[in-house]
Amino acid sequence: MDWEFVSNLLLASVRMATPLIFLSLAELYSQRAGLVHIGLEGLAAIGSLIGFLVSLITGSPLLGVVAGAAVGVLVNMIYAYATINLCAEQIVYGMAINIFAPALASFIYRVYFGAGSELVQVSLMSTLASMLGITSDNFFVKLLLDQTLMVYLAYGLVFFTAIYFNKTKSGLNFKAVGEYPKAAATLGINVVGVKYAASVICGALAGIGGAYLTTCYATTYTDGNVAGRGFIALAAVIFGRWSAGGVLLACLFFGFCDALQIRLQVSSFGVPYQFFQMIPYIATVVVLAVIGMKKAGPKGVGKPYLREER
Amino acid sequence: MKNSNKLVSFLVPVISILLAFIIGCVIMAVLGANPFVALQSLWIGAFGSLRNVGTTLARSTPLIFTGLCACFAYRCGVFNLGGEGQFLMGSIVCCYIATRSGIEGLPAILLCLIGGAVAGGLWALVAGLLKVYRGQNEMIITIMLNYVATLFMGVVYTNWLREGSVPQTESVPDATKLSRLFGLRATTAFVIAIVAGLLVYYFLFYTSKGFQLRAVGLNMTAAQFNGFAVKRYILMSFIVSGAIAGLGGSAELLGTQFRLINGFGAGYGFDGVAMALIGQLHPLATILVAIFFAALRVGSTTMQAATGVPTSVSDIIQALVIVFTVAGLAMVKLPQFKAFLVRLTDKKKKEAV
Repeated sequence: MDWEFVSNLLLASVRMATPLIFLSLAELYSQRAGLVHIGLEGLAAIGSLIGFLVSLITGSPLLGVVAGAAVGVLVNMIYAYATINLCAEQIVYGMAINIFAPALASFIYRVYFGAGSELVQVSLMSTLASMLGITSDNFFVKLLLDQTLMVYLAYGLVFFTAIYFNKTKSGLNFKAVGEYPKAAATLGINVVGVKYAASVICGALAGIGGAYLTTCYATTYTDGNVAGRGFIALAAVIFGRWSAGGVLLACLFFGFCDALQIRLQVSSFGVPYQFFQMIPYIATVVVLAVIGMKKAGPKGVGKPYLREER
Repeated sequence: MKNSNKLVSFLVPVISILLAFIIGCVIMAVLGANPFVALQSLWIGAFGSLRNVGTTLARSTPLIFTGLCACFAYRCGVFNLGGEGQFLMGSIVCCYIATRSGIEGLPAILLCLIGGAVAGGLWALVAGLLKVYRGQNEMIITIMLNYVATLFMGVVYTNWLREGSVPQTESVPDATKLSRLFGLRATTAFVIAIVAGLLVYYFLFYTSKGFQLRAVGLNMTAAQFNGFAVKRYILMSFIVSGAIAGLGGSAELLGTQFRLINGFGAGYGFDGVAMALIGQLHPLATILVAIFFAALRVGSTTMQAATGVPTSVSDIIQALVIVFTVAGLAMVKLPQFKAFLVRLTDKKKKEAV
């Protein structure tokens, strides 16, 4: 355990936490409007594929991220229509998205590259430090500057979300929809509109979270590359008690577990590497088991909203 | 009214399947294949000969198990997404018994099936205990346990039970393999799956325990007030649904795969959820949907050979079926839709007068 190991670990934690932050914020916006969304895994899968394809075609990872966000919104509109207008059970429909979106992603990949394709790779988004031409081994320089733009975007969004939900009128209205839609409607808040807005934000953020994986983390797309992050993000929202700050801490913790897992795999100690890979998943289970149940989420989550219903 | 409800719940999946196929045909046409030729070869591939039927039934076997697993749990209001993990844990224990115990033949088969079911049940019980005693969201827990089980299987086939240089376990001895039905690809595993389905059906709809379990699933609070042991039913539904999946894991290992290898059982858990939802949590309907899914998969290989349409088109069709069915089932429950139905029948009555 030398300083280099620790500093590399911390730097990797920040990197690994970033996709989780996007996904958790997606879940947070959705749940704050009363829509529990377990389909993030699927949205991230299609986001990561489209992000990969667009950055491959255009050569610009940034465009890839934008395209990932767009496709995330598009697919999430199916979920939004089914759960908001048709009042489908949210959990069940989230599951349907989880089955539909990865199938679509894998289909598009097969059609685009053909059956026996060789590994296609894209160049990753460059970091701020390399854009500015700074080369330094100093830990703090690396931590603050040697990051992609997506990392800054993620932390900026956390800050924005915290202010939005606590300090702005629009944010409070948004939360009211998730707590008690009927009361919100009597105050003149457009409940259905807010729910759709939440779905747009959720789809975009989940798509970005997926696209991060293929534009900033791994150089290629593989089926199942989201690897449960959509569900870990759900756990992070519960762990973070539905607040932006709490979610950030939860994501950093899960990101740390992921980084630890990778570092330990490299140094192995003769233990099968799969045991290290289990760390993030077991950590999620343990965290949920330890915090136990304290109902703290928005009260209207999971319930359909029908205007005519009494 | 009761009859029209039944008709609607039958029509929704059928219309969904039709819609999914229409979209599938459009995709095929866009890819430059003739959709009619493609559909024909899909059908021939799945049901064209007795041999193909056998292959389809063999492919449907593991799907039936995971479908029943999901179906049983949801009837008790428990969202068990961990069918895959329970399936794998069952097959891992089965693999140990089959290759390491030194027993062969029928006793080994029985021991393997029981061991697999117990392993699956225990793996699901972990999630059940966390839900009942820690109030945790069973969906996240079961999904996380899926990843743990998949990685654990990785340890088994790359390390502990690895055979030679290839990352796979040694094969189940010939005497312990399940026998084939009429020389087809389908094995007695399919019979076990059907029996399991019938048992689940009988238990849920013809026993008082099954009734109470469904009551817990429909309204937990009301069941509690009626003095049903809600917690015990939830735990039981976890154990039984996990055991069904674990049994499926061992039946698949002994019947079709014979060794653990990368990708074994991948995706079966979510497939099971999809089938249970399309089958509207009815065990027998779930079996039919599983056979339909298997037919799509088997047939799509022939389709690819004949027309060049990639097999993953069948995944898209399956996914569309679930997307449409769930939305459709929700739609027919909307008050507007019910009012529309009433108007429709009123009109007919007036015309008759």
